[in-house]
Parts: sequence; C-alpha cells; structure tokens
Amino acid sequence: MIRFIDATKIYPNGAVGLKNVTVNIEKGEFVFIIGASGSGKSTFLKLIMHEETPDEGEVYVNGYSVHNMPKSEIPYLRRSLGIVFQDFRLLPNKTAYENVAFAMQIVEAQPREIRRQVPLALGLVGLGKKAKAYPNQLSGGEQQRVALARALVNNPAVLIADEPTGNLDPKTSLEIMELLDEINQRGTTVIVATHEKSIVDAMKKRVITLDRGELVSDVKKGLYTNEN
Amino acid sequence: MKIRTLRLLAREGAANVYKNKLMSFASLVTITTTLFVLGLVLMFIVNVITNLEARKQDLQVKFYLKVDASALEQEEVAMFIEKSKENGVVAEYEYESREQAYENAKKDLQDESLMEGLTAENFAEGYFVTLADQNDSDEFIAKLKQFSGVDPDWITYPKQELEKITGIVRVFNYVAVFVLAVLMMISVLLISNTIRLTVFARRKEIEIMKYVGASDWFIRFPFIIEGMIIGFLGALLSYFLTYEAYDWIKNGLTSLFSSLMMSDLQLMEFGRFSVRILLVNVLFGMSIGVLGSFMSVRKHLNV
Repeated sequence: MIRFIDATKIYPNGAVGLKNVTVNIEKGEFVFIIGASGSGKSTFLKLIMHEETPDEGEVYVNGYSVHNMPKSEIPYLRRSLGIVFQDFRLLPNKTAYENVAFAMQIVEAQPREIRRQVPLALGLVGLGKKAKAYPNQLSGGEQQRVALARALVNNPAVLIADEPTGNLDPKTSLEIMELLDEINQRGTTVIVATHEKSIVDAMKKRVITLDRGELVSDVKKGLYTNEN
Repeated sequence: MKIRTLRLLAREGAANVYKNKLMSFASLVTITTTLFVLGLVLMFIVNVITNLEARKQDLQVKFYLKVDASALEQEEVAMFIEKSKENGVVAEYEYESREQAYENAKKDLQDESLMEGLTAENFAEGYFVTLADQNDSDEFIAKLKQFSGVDPDWITYPKQELEKITGIVRVFNYVAVFVLAVLMMISVLLISNTIRLTVFARRKEIEIMKYVGASDWFIRFPFIIEGMIIGFLGALLSYFLTYEAYDWIKNGLTSLFSSLMMSDLQLMEFGRFSVRILLVNVLFGMSIGVLGSFMSVRKHLNV
C-alpha cells in the first residue's frame, strides 16, 4: 500500500527531513508516526501526499510512484488519500456540508450521490445536526470532525492525519482517535503523526519512531516511551 | 470536465463575488476607474481627430473661368463639375455667376468709387468645390487645367493648410496610440495587482483545495468566472459614468466655445460612439478580469 525504499529528503537549507527510511505499510493497518519536533514526521507525511518529493530512494503510494510523478497526476494521488491536518484546513466560506461535499465535487460525483453520502459522513463523525454551520461557528473538535468527514467521504484507501489532535483538549482528542480507530476497523489504512504520548499509549497500535530523520524503531502494538 | 461540473463551478464563481464582498468591491472600483479614465481619453482623442478631419473637409478648390470664356467653354466646365459630383469625387460645390461676383465685390469693397466703370462682364464665373476626398485634389486640379475655359492662374487650393492638418492628425494619431497603450498598460497592472491581492487573501483556500485533490482547472475556473463578472460589472458601471461625465463636459464646453465665438468646434454626440465604447469596455474589462484571475491563481497552484 505504502512503501518507502531508502527514502531521503534534505531541504534546501540543509535540514534533514528523512534519511534512508525504509518502511512498508500494509492495507488496513493503523500506524502512529512519532518523534520530537523536527524528527521527520511531517516530512514522512508530505512525501506520501506529494507535497515534497524524495531526493533519493523511492516512495510508492497506492500504486503511484511519488518521485517521478507528472504534475497532472498529483490530484488523482491526493484523491486516493484522505488528509486531516492539525489546523483542520476547512474552506472558511463553506458550511460543514459544503466542505464535505466539495471533496466529492472534485471527483465529479453525481449530485444524487453527494446528497446521500455527505449526511452519512457527517453522521459518522457525529455532526449530522451541524451541517449548515460555517467553520467559525464550530468548536475545534467539531471542525476536526468536519475535516475527518471530508477525508472519509470518498472512501479513500488511506487516511493520513498530521497531528490531528494538536489543537484539541484531551477529551476531544480521545474522541477523535476513537473515530479514527472506527474508520480503521472499516478497512481504511490510517497513518497518524503525533507527539501525544497518552494517545499513542492508549491505542496500542504499530508505532514508527523517527529521530532527526532516521527511523529508530518500528514496533507492532507499541507505546510512546517503551524504548522499543 | 463534465458540463455539470462547469455549471457548478460557474455558480461557485458567481457566489464568490458576493461572498468576498470587500475584495470584489476593491476590484470593481479599480476596473471601473481605469475604464472610466480610458473612456474619457478615448472620447477626447476621437473629438480632436474628428474636428481636425472636419477642418480638412472645409478646404475648397476655388477656380475662376477666363473672363472671355465662350459659352461652350462655360458649358464644358459646368458639365465636368456636375459629372464629378455624380460620380462622388465632388462632395458639393457652389457656383458664382458674373453678376454674383460683381455684387460680392461691391459688398466687399464698400466703396462705390472703386467699382466705377466696371460691370458684371468684367468679372469671371467661379466655382468653389469641396472634394469628397481631399487626397484627390492634385488629380482634380490637373483635370481642371485641361479646360481651355479655366483660368490656370486662378485655381487656388490651400494645400499647405491641408498638409499641416494631415500632419497634425498623423502626429495626434501616434500620440493617441501611445497614450492609449500606456493607459492600458497601467490599467492592466493596476487591475491585475488588485486581483492578485484578492487571490492572495484566498491562497489558503487554494492550498486546501489542492490538498483535497482538486485539479488546477477546478480551482481556477471559479476565479476566472469571478474575474469575468467583476470585469463585466466594471465595464457597465464605467460606461454609465463615462456617458454622464462626457455629457456634462460636452455641455460645459459647448457653451464655452459659443461664448468664445468658436462654435465651429463641434463635440461629438456620445450616442455615435456609445456602442463602440460599451464594446471596448466590456471586452477590455472582461478580458482583464479573466487574465488577471488566471495569472494570479497560477502562482498559488504549485502546492
């Protein structure tokens, strides 16, 4: 599903993003990418969503080869992923419903299909009643739920979340993680970059630890601190 | 892209004009103002050129027959002039008989004693001819000279004045093209800068769309529609502004000209140019809107 083969990314200012990382993530897995700030978590995700390309090595995502992908194919790669960010990244002048519908409109889904799927996705994240609210009328947790619904609505094979709970209180964070787990149970591969110990420890999922761009451990059912 | 999607994106673009009121307003004001200035300058240029051309049109070929021209010779010339009018070389002409020439001379001199001993028979018949195209003057005069009844020393044509006016018109045309080009460039810069600002304010939005997997055209199209609508509205607004301002200026100048005894200076009616000005405005406004959006969005699409 996702394969990093000796992938290295050095930024123009010399900062090491990733260094010789080789990782294989299979379909249906739930993986935490952990590490301190600057450890390479974000670079790892950016390579998956083609925000960056590797300087050396190869990255394969859902059958797409990221390192020599034509520009016109990037949208298709991204449509096969559901992406959730720490800062939610909702379109400010669209309602919750419209934000989720937008993801379906770009894949030119039938209007009938959109009318059916969007309420389902919003229902799944528990926001069925706030469909008409604009992002600024929603709490942080609610906005992240909308972002989740948007990421899910096209049934992506992989869901990527970059610090999805970074802006949320512990209780809401846990709710969001439970949602991600539920989504994973339905067969979607979930990759979460985080540095929140409590969450990682509570979930007991595969944990990939990065440090200064290098992969230092990769443990099934790991903990944040178990010096794998 | 499916027609359904295009319709959706067009609606989106139209809705965005309203949703981003402040930025739309800023773009609208810029487009309206620049098109308004452009329209007024255009009208000024048209008026100057038309007045100069009218001057040119007033130039006449004046010629007299020999005093002793025979009836046949007189007839020949009269027929030639009439025929020239029929085939469009001559726009109009005035004929002055011997008697009229005598009377006019009397009136001009205002002194009976100077006219003593002179009768109408001492005066020659004259023609004052306005040509349809002043460029035909040389050929026309050459033909006149072939008539034995025409006095070759009494053919006058203010050629120098024609050349002067033609020269001025030519220079003015160059200046007009230059001024218009500069003004258009300034307009393009001003308008595309405003659009760039509005797009910059929404760069996050574009970025989000890219992350969700929208293609470049999917993102670009609503912006283009938005630019088109604002350009169109700006064109209409500036058209009405130009119309009102021109009317006001025209009325003011017309009364000024008549009080300065310069009533031969004519200002064109706006109606004669209204369709052209409207077309120029709409075409220019809309293409600037579209181009500005297209170029400004492009910068933010590389995510």
